[in-house]
Amino acid sequence: MTLTLFPIRHHGPGSARSLAGALERLRPDLVLVEGPADANLVLPFLAHPDFKPPVALLGYVNDDPARASFWPFAVFSPEFVAFQWAARLDIPARFMDLPASATLGFEREDEPESDLHSDPLRVLAEAAGYSDFERWWETLVEARGDGGDVFGAVLEVMTAVRADAPAPAGREAMREAHMRQTIRAAQKEGFQSIAVVCGAWHAPVLTDLAAYPVKEDAALLKGLPRAKVTLTWVPWTHGRLSMHSGYGAGVRSPGYYHHLFTTPEHVTERWFARAARLLRGEKLEASSASVIEATRLANTLAGLRGRALPGLDELNEAALSVFGWDSDLPLRLIERQLIVGEALGEVPSDTPTVPLAQDLARQQKKLRLKVQPEQLEMTLDLRQDNDLARSALFHRLNLLGIPWAQERHAGGRGTFKEAWALAWQPEFSVRLVQASRSGQTVADAAGAQAIETARTSASLSELTALLEAVRYADLPDALPAALDALDARAAVGADVADLLSALAPLARLARYGDVRGRDEVAKGADEAPARVFRTLLTRTCVGLPTAAIGLAEDAAGVLQRAVDAGDASVRLLDDAGALAEWRAALLHLANRLEAHPLLVGDAVRRLRDSGELDSPEVERRVSLALGADRPGDVTSWLDGFLGHSAALLLHDSALLALLDGWLAGLEGDAFQESLPLLRRVFSRYEKPERRALGEAVRGGGPNRGEAVLELDEERAMRVVPVVLRLLGVRQ
Amino acid sequence: MTATQPTPAPEVLRQHAEQAYAHELSALAAQDDRPKPPQWNLSPHAVLTYLMGGKLKDGTEITAKYVGHRRLMEIAVATLATDRALLLIGVPGTAKSWVSEHLAAAISGDSTLLVQGTAGTGEEAIRYGWNYARLIAEGPSEAALVESPIMRAMRTGKLARIEELTRVQSDVQDTLITVLSEKTLPVPELNTEVQATRGFNMIATANNRDRGVNDLSSALKRRFNTVILPVPDSLEDEVRIVVQRVAQLASSLQIPAAPPALEEVRRIVTIFRELRSGVTEDGKTKLKAPSGTLSTAEAISVVNHGLSLAAHFGNGELSAADVAASLVGAVVKDPVQDGIVWREYLETVAKKREDWRDLYKACRAVS
Repeated sequence: MTLTLFPIRHHGPGSARSLAGALERLRPDLVLVEGPADANLVLPFLAHPDFKPPVALLGYVNDDPARASFWPFAVFSPEFVAFQWAARLDIPARFMDLPASATLGFEREDEPESDLHSDPLRVLAEAAGYSDFERWWETLVEARGDGGDVFGAVLEVMTAVRADAPAPAGREAMREAHMRQTIRAAQKEGFQSIAVVCGAWHAPVLTDLAAYPVKEDAALLKGLPRAKVTLTWVPWTHGRLSMHSGYGAGVRSPGYYHHLFTTPEHVTERWFARAARLLRGEKLEASSASVIEATRLANTLAGLRGRALPGLDELNEAALSVFGWDSDLPLRLIERQLIVGEALGEVPSDTPTVPLAQDLARQQKKLRLKVQPEQLEMTLDLRQDNDLARSALFHRLNLLGIPWAQERHAGGRGTFKEAWALAWQPEFSVRLVQASRSGQTVADAAGAQAIETARTSASLSELTALLEAVRYADLPDALPAALDALDARAAVGADVADLLSALAPLARLARYGDVRGRDEVAKGADEAPARVFRTLLTRTCVGLPTAAIGLAEDAAGVLQRAVDAGDASVRLLDDAGALAEWRAALLHLANRLEAHPLLVGDAVRRLRDSGELDSPEVERRVSLALGADRPGDVTSWLDGFLGHSAALLLHDSALLALLDGWLAGLEGDAFQESLPLLRRVFSRYEKPERRALGEAVRGGGPNRGEAVLELDEERAMRVVPVVLRLLGVRQ
Repeated sequence: MTATQPTPAPEVLRQHAEQAYAHELSALAAQDDRPKPPQWNLSPHAVLTYLMGGKLKDGTEITAKYVGHRRLMEIAVATLATDRALLLIGVPGTAKSWVSEHLAAAISGDSTLLVQGTAGTGEEAIRYGWNYARLIAEGPSEAALVESPIMRAMRTGKLARIEELTRVQSDVQDTLITVLSEKTLPVPELNTEVQATRGFNMIATANNRDRGVNDLSSALKRRFNTVILPVPDSLEDEVRIVVQRVAQLASSLQIPAAPPALEEVRRIVTIFRELRSGVTEDGKTKLKAPSGTLSTAEAISVVNHGLSLAAHFGNGELSAADVAASLVGAVVKDPVQDGIVWREYLETVAKKREDWRDLYKACRAVS
């Protein structure tokens, strides 16, 4: 009965390669690997042909999925190599660490481990003057070619290190006790040759089981929490190999490690050849001669630094010097594409997972959406069924708090286009688990989530946004809840501006139905949105005139924009009753003397445009407003009244004449005071409009006859001689 | 052209690196037990020690020639060891020529095979020219050929240096391509060629600010490994460089003044760094940047100038008044724009610093 220990470095390609060879020589009849013991059930999936690392073992507490842990594995993770080897030869392999039910059951978070604990070999390599651990390992181990008892040597080193370290306590003591107990149980089962693959730090306490009394180990493990947990595999990315994982083996250069692991020989040459291909693909210069030179420089640099093989530092410096010329652009490309080398793993489709995740996978397949970690830009044409379904899926996922797709601004004309940026992050798998409590399909879960949000939202603007989201996400079942919530919230009392902006989505709903389908007639306009719209409008109309009183300049501006939006919504709905109610409210506002002049001017303009007020009435109101005591009020009023286009003034000469007369009659001081405000009003007009206005005022306009003043002939005559002389006419 | 080097007369203004540091080089050579590339005087390791400084086993102190990242010098030495040409790039005054001179001195023991690149540098400066009297009298012959420094370096297996490569016209630059790739220089007139012997290599320097004047063709770029020399990272590094160089220059120029107070040097370097980066060292105040580069080399010359003023017209100690004149001259290159920059700096930064009173007053007096 033998026990062979393989102290490894987590995610270390060097350890992984050595381990593969060592297992092949040893041929154990059981492989035990550091990892949660209750994950043994999902181990068979590792042998599945569709299983592609990087993947992570995900464990979460059933009734609180937010409490979750990951154990990531890459192709070059020794743990993964051990399982693969065992699966190929049909040799049993198991995890041996504390079960996830215990680690997730602890109330307290795991205390952070020091570098020495989590990655003692790297600390050793740094002590030996290597910044790149893998090259140290390669120099020490692989370059020698025999690989014989590397693990024995590492074990010896670690035994010496741990002899000086304090005895393990807390979680660490429990973990190590559990590992020992697992080994003991396996021995009892009758396995003759057991291989144990564990982090280098733990190896020394697993060699001599007799040194640790069974009783003490059992006592340590007594009363472990037993949370109900689920364990499964989820796709992972290289970039997050170092994420919280039970051990924090940081991997800053996963792409480089992958290269090391998969390249049997000529590591440097192949690295630069790949770099050159990458640079050529980006239209940068990189010839084969440069590859040769870079390789030579990297080798010489390593030699100069007394290292047997170039490490990542030497590779980068050589690349910068040979490919870089005087910019670091090539190096940045290499860094992003080769050194980090983002990749997303795959798990077989029958991996146990929540139904929600399965539903999502089905839809992704059906809608031909690729799941990838790099950002992908996509423009959807909503007139196409497939794109419309995609858009609904994206909106639903966003409702569920899974921002896989984020909406971007779509350029161009037309409302049928949507731009999205897609990037899958591995943590989304946890969010899916969390969201799965709301429903079994994406549509159900999003609907339930929307209803929940509607119930708990506090503000009207949140509800308005929700209403829009529900409409885009095509969730008809959630609509009544959102509408009811909106109605109820509006009743409790809300800001008029908020009420006004809530009108817009409601009007769209009432007018076009609850989906963005192309056959709006068939869907029909629902009763409910129109009903809620009317209620909301009534509340708004009651509140509007009062809301316009006692406002500061910028608050009035906000309200004016809201009125504009509300006005557009009312006109969109085109319901006679609603229109009458709205205009009555505007008229009421226009008649309030104490209302803010900006809003009064705005209301008068709207009433005039809709034909509610006839011309003489408007002129009366204008001259009344222009006669106000404070010039500030006058310009505010004009600002509201004239709005953003000069068309009104250009085509209504009577109105222009009125304005002109008012301006010409101002006192000096008042004129000075109103000049900047007037300028602000007029500077918004287009240049041609301003010129046309100027010409009209100067007298170029057709209707300026009545404004001609009487001439003082005597004074006019005085300049005639000068003008004649200027023109060269001698008397 | 004789191959023997004339021993320098003692009154030479500035000695070559291989003469000024002859004792360091011979000590390094005596201790050097590592393998040397063919024709190299020192092993790459010893060259690095020569550049970065250190102490030898026999106690000889090697001064640091380059203060900065060891990494950069490693790349430079490794490049030359792989028999590839080296191009040093940087803004003016970042010790490009200085490094190139010392590399040549340490590797070949000869830093004089130098071509100064200008817009007027012709092909004959890089390849060969003719002694026309002889050419007319005797026709083309070996004797009538006038070798360029590069041809001589090829024959003797030494390092050739080209300064300001990007100032040289593009067609002249391209004559280097054959030299660098095939290591030969054909002489069609004599139907012969000069083949480079082992040990020949080339160090070129180029200026970042000159990019676009005569950018290298991609065929030529490909034959160089580049090392970008940055401006010094920290204030302390830069002060160290200035103090060290000023001491060396003062001894060679025989300026009798006492060595400059560290404080005065630090103030000058601080001014340079702040104006260069456009922000004060504490990162709180934004500044306008002047049109000049304000390199370390200029800081050295400001201190030097101040020292000589102090020695000849002052009391022998470097004071604010001594540096003010040349400080203003170094900063204000464009009288209109830089004048505004400098006045703003004086009023917003220098004036507020309590211990800068004297400097502020002195600068106000001259600007």
